[in-house]
Amino acid sequence: MNPSRNQVVTEGIVLSRTNFGEADRIITMLTSDRGKVTLMAKGVRKIKSKLAGGIELFSISQISYLPGKGEIHTLISSRLQKHYGQIVKDISRTMLGYELLKRINRATEDATESEYFDLMKISLASLDGALVLNLIELWFDAQLLRLAGHQPNLASDLQGKRLQADQLYTFDFDNMSFVTAEQGIFSPAHIKFLRLVFGLQEPLALGQITDADQVIGPCAQLVATMRHQFIRA
Amino acid sequence: MASILLLEPDKQLAKSYQAALHKAGHTVHWQTNAQSALTVLDDHAPQLVILELHLANHNGVEFLYEMRSYPDCDHVPVVLHTMVEPEHPGLGHDFWPQLGIQEYLYKPRTTLAQLVERVNRLTLAQAA
Repeated sequence: MNPSRNQVVTEGIVLSRTNFGEADRIITMLTSDRGKVTLMAKGVRKIKSKLAGGIELFSISQISYLPGKGEIHTLISSRLQKHYGQIVKDISRTMLGYELLKRINRATEDATESEYFDLMKISLASLDGALVLNLIELWFDAQLLRLAGHQPNLASDLQGKRLQADQLYTFDFDNMSFVTAEQGIFSPAHIKFLRLVFGLQEPLALGQITDADQVIGPCAQLVATMRHQFIRA
Repeated sequence: MASILLLEPDKQLAKSYQAALHKAGHTVHWQTNAQSALTVLDDHAPQLVILELHLANHNGVEFLYEMRSYPDCDHVPVVLHTMVEPEHPGLGHDFWPQLGIQEYLYKPRTTLAQLVERVNRLTLAQAA
């Protein structure tokens, strides 16, 4: 059978699933080139459903769907491309996995850029590996902020002066900049670490920083506050 | 009293829990894995779930998220009755309340009587 002219073929990551009716599910997927889409997976809860295996969580799936007139499209086929199966073997990794899916779902609109798909894909791959969870979460939040246009100024302070190696700083959330303060909790080591967190394309290299555990606490708190404040995710 | 879904992979333990809960007047639907438990949920929403997090193939956290995506089961209280120790970092996470976990019982330190007492208390509170 020839594919319908309207049929869309793409790859996606399941963000959420909700049961609907007797045997159907409504699925929200983040795709590589179509933003976030809502799909009706008909009959997917039946034992013999061909769709079921291709819409697993913590996976990249190739999907095809027919666009609907409203917001919900109809899923026609699904095939698992990559399943990050190590995530569910660890309870903490599973929980963080669900949490990151939820954050990206809240932070994105339907017409979202492909960078969000790449972010989720790299995050799932990282969760599937051995990198410590707090580094993955910090990197994920930093990238979410960067993509949403809320990256802090990590080059100069509020007065526009270059951040100094012998100064301590506090952070001004209104201006997303550091401010010189004698009792500040952010040292140059923290700022250097944050530059890496916001700048790296993937979090793996953060695991190679020997003193990361000494600076991650205040940095994680700062980034989590920014996330709550600016992207409500 | 209440209809309870018991998700417990160990057959011997499950039999003891089932007997004790049955004696206390509850109806117990026992399942050993997440997949079969979800099939039960599709037919019938329980009034309470007792859950071990360590399951074959899918872990208990996955089951919980799946269960919460079922409109009939989004408010069903859950008792974690598990071998996962209280110090486990996952148990301290702030989204446990979002998953509707009402009680955490560490299996090695929980007697059968304590399990039944907690279940009775929760099901009574739910009925009130």
